[in-house]
Amino acid sequence: RLQKEQYYSEQHSSLINKAYQTLLNPLSRGLYLLELNGVEPAQETDCDADSVFLMEIMEINEKLAEPENEAILEEIETLIKVKQEELTKEVTAAFERDDLQEAKKLLAKMKYFANLEDKLKNKKIPS
Amino acid sequence: VATRDAVPRQVVDHYENPRNVGSLDRNAKNVGTGLVGAPACGDVMKLQVEVDENGKIVDARFKTFGCGSAIASSSLATEWVKGKTVDEALQIKNTDIAKELCLPPVKLHCSMLAEDAIKAALADYKLKQDPNKEEPEKKA
Repeated sequence: RLQKEQYYSEQHSSLINKAYQTLLNPLSRGLYLLELNGVEPAQETDCDADSVFLMEIMEINEKLAEPENEAILEEIETLIKVKQEELTKEVTAAFERDDLQEAKKLLAKMKYFANLEDKLKNKKIPS
Repeated sequence: VATRDAVPRQVVDHYENPRNVGSLDRNAKNVGTGLVGAPACGDVMKLQVEVDENGKIVDARFKTFGCGSAIASSSLATEWVKGKTVDEALQIKNTDIAKELCLPPVKLHCSMLAEDAIKAALADYKLKQDPNKEEPEKKA
């Protein structure tokens, strides 16, 4: 019976951790909220064609791909943070006025910046 | 490394020796630029074609930021469009790309993104040739 309890505790502990991590991060939190509201998340087969936005993402990616330069990396890090904060505010506003489709669009944009954030983190780790 | 997760040799090849990485002059009248993104995974892909006066694609470049399969798909796409006419290039299907690269089911969407990028580049080229023509709404 002790084993059963232990298993039960592990499952719940794991679920709580997952819930915490999901809610802590604005992107995953937003996507989860969409799910709760019955809105389908962006499908793998979806395709974005917002040229202006994608161009911006491309440019940041290209800068990031250039050889190491402390100053540029810091500049990019700040830019990404600012953009993420802006988008988080906009997503919040969208949810507040129940504009779920707009929230979905904004969360898609946040995904691109989340990827950039990861790439930046990897760049900063000394090899 | 589990065999199930092994990256196909073809994908590794395009990843380690990508063909046609770079940019063409997007302002040139005979250059078409396609810029697409995959919102689910945050991959972004740019594909450009240079078309000669006979409607044949004589050069192509790509820049992709994303997973190895996305890079390989766009690299292969630039290889395949070269030498084709605009209409022939429009026939390239994502299933052909996926087959050539032996993409696993979970990465099939990468080949779809490459097909979207080809179509976007060709649509851009066509629009530049005749800006007064009404273009049908681009598929989102």
